[in-house]
Amino acid sequence: MVKKILLFTLCLSLFYIPMGFAKSKIKIGLMCPQTGSWASEGIDMKKIVNLLAEDINKKGGVLGRKIEIIDEDDGGDPRTAALAANKLCTRGIVAVIGTYGSSVTEATQNIFNENKIIQIANGSTAIRLTEKGYKYFFRTCPRDDEQGRVAAKTIKKFGFKRVAILHDNTTYAKGLAEEAKQNLEKMGGVKIVFFDALTPGERDYTTILTKLQSKKPDVVFFTGYYPEAGLLLKQKKEMGWNVPFIGGDATNNPDLVKIAGLDAAKGFYFLSPPVPQDLDTPQAKAFLKAYQAKYHALPGSVWAVLSGDALLAIVKAIDGSKSTDPDKMAYYLHYKLKDMPGLTGKISFNEKGDRVGDLYRVYKVDDKGNFVLQPKD
Amino acid sequence: MNRKYLIWAICLIFFLSPLFLNAYWVDVLNNIGIYAILALSLNFILGDTGLFHMGHAAFFAVGAYTTAILNTMYHIPILFLIPFSGITAAIFAYLVARPIIHLRGDYLLIVTIGIVEIVRIALVNNIFGLTGGSNGIFGISRPHLFGLIIRRPTHFFYYIWIFLAVSVFLFHRLRNSRFGRALNYIKEDEVAAEGTGVDIAKYKLIAFVLGAFWAGMVGNIYASKMTIISPESFTFWESVIYFCIVILGGSGSITGVILGSFLLIGLPELFREFAQARMLVFGLAMIIMMIFRPQGILPPPPRKYNVDQIN
Repeated sequence: MVKKILLFTLCLSLFYIPMGFAKSKIKIGLMCPQTGSWASEGIDMKKIVNLLAEDINKKGGVLGRKIEIIDEDDGGDPRTAALAANKLCTRGIVAVIGTYGSSVTEATQNIFNENKIIQIANGSTAIRLTEKGYKYFFRTCPRDDEQGRVAAKTIKKFGFKRVAILHDNTTYAKGLAEEAKQNLEKMGGVKIVFFDALTPGERDYTTILTKLQSKKPDVVFFTGYYPEAGLLLKQKKEMGWNVPFIGGDATNNPDLVKIAGLDAAKGFYFLSPPVPQDLDTPQAKAFLKAYQAKYHALPGSVWAVLSGDALLAIVKAIDGSKSTDPDKMAYYLHYKLKDMPGLTGKISFNEKGDRVGDLYRVYKVDDKGNFVLQPKD
Repeated sequence: MNRKYLIWAICLIFFLSPLFLNAYWVDVLNNIGIYAILALSLNFILGDTGLFHMGHAAFFAVGAYTTAILNTMYHIPILFLIPFSGITAAIFAYLVARPIIHLRGDYLLIVTIGIVEIVRIALVNNIFGLTGGSNGIFGISRPHLFGLIIRRPTHFFYYIWIFLAVSVFLFHRLRNSRFGRALNYIKEDEVAAEGTGVDIAKYKLIAFVLGAFWAGMVGNIYASKMTIISPESFTFWESVIYFCIVILGGSGSITGVILGSFLLIGLPELFREFAQARMLVFGLAMIIMMIFRPQGILPPPPRKYNVDQIN
């Protein structure tokens, strides 16, 4: 038995001998969930980043050197992710892209930070990730509180005076509801007439709708998920109550229209990051064309596209700071990078490493049940 | 005698291995260690007592969350929480195992799968507002030991493997005690055991609670190692992995279980280069194992007693 352990240890040490690649390539890590329940996101991320890297290499690379993407599977699980991060650190990467889930990213943050590797997350929206003061951490996705801010702005812009906020007591929905409430109160001029939760999973919401109706709101902001949103719309229609509804990004699902029915869903507004086919920058259009030509499909969600933006930001930082030194790159990303044209719009980071600017857009359900992007302002 | 020296020499080399391994491989060894202790605690229930228990991740989760909640809310040092996490897990195990302990074989298996799923869903639903929902709990502090903060993979290597060594010693003693023999008796023939006066329900329950106690303590180590815990780490799949480690390594055998965790946790890391295909290789290896050696790689040796000492 113990002999076997020794043999195994020897095997391990053999594998450890770092593979000596030619120095000319700049290595960039990609940590993404290739197995587990988020595998589809991770596989999209890998495709997008590799496609962009090929493109950059075709144009001569950066600082006259080619880039190489080294990907690792984080399995959508903090334990596997910590291993993947440790492994990436031994491969001589200058920066890493990823990953998707917030808790998964969090498990890797201090590993990369200790090793002085720039990390740009693409799908981790939990507020706390950038509140710890990690110098080398950035993200291209918005934070959870961003949506609350955009919701408040949208409600204000539509000119609603009496607002009802309804959530479903899940961490996400409640957090969003509270964030929106605080922002509305700060702005003033809007009265919150209702703030409560429904129980998700029920079939009949007429009780809560009647309660809502008695408060006479101008608009109802529902922060929960699409099944309840669909039922609410349907039963509101049946009651003959004609109040506009606005939903959070968890209502962005085609099933919403199926549950509510075309008639009831019509005119429903919701907030969401733009779906990939609605990305309107020239970079995004060219990129989506190339993506479709190669893989014969479109990326499934905007989160995977944001990993492409992370790569562009890293390459720009290497180019702009003329080095692969993490301190210089971090300085460049924090203070010098301004309005870089990315796939999802202009990219800049603030001193915490959060992306500046609003990614959230307003969508409206049209007569045919399609989600239509509303023009920005 | 030579063999003994060889074993000691190998142990010594193993304990010095962080000096020549890089952080990644040390961390792999840490994971192997954590799984080995968990599998040892499950082995006590599954291998020694013969209870088909596939919900071990639930007890692991209770221990980890106890540590996380008490540490982040009341700032109690991690090391003090080790026994406490174990006790919470043990109490939880007692409460859920008491009504189901009379179930046999597959029926027990199904119920324990139910337990692990209920625990996971309860954690996702932010039960009592304590568990932080699907985001989990973050900011768990590191263990402080005489002024040293256990932080790097190398530190954790010694922390985990010394804990494993202690566990091995204790489980070995327990296995060779009167109590351990009674458990084996239940495993081999329940009816005969009951007929000769072994209180089956009591012994099974003690095995369950002790196994859970140990898993709860590992939960503490895991929480302080990751500094963040979330429900994804305590899925049904995790329980299946512990189950496989015990069955594959040789149920009832301590060395077998440790070897099993090297194979199940270490091998997928060796095959990392193959990305998605590694799971395929891994599955194939397991099928071959089960066909050619269903009793496990290292089944426990038969008990030997010196005839002269019996009287």
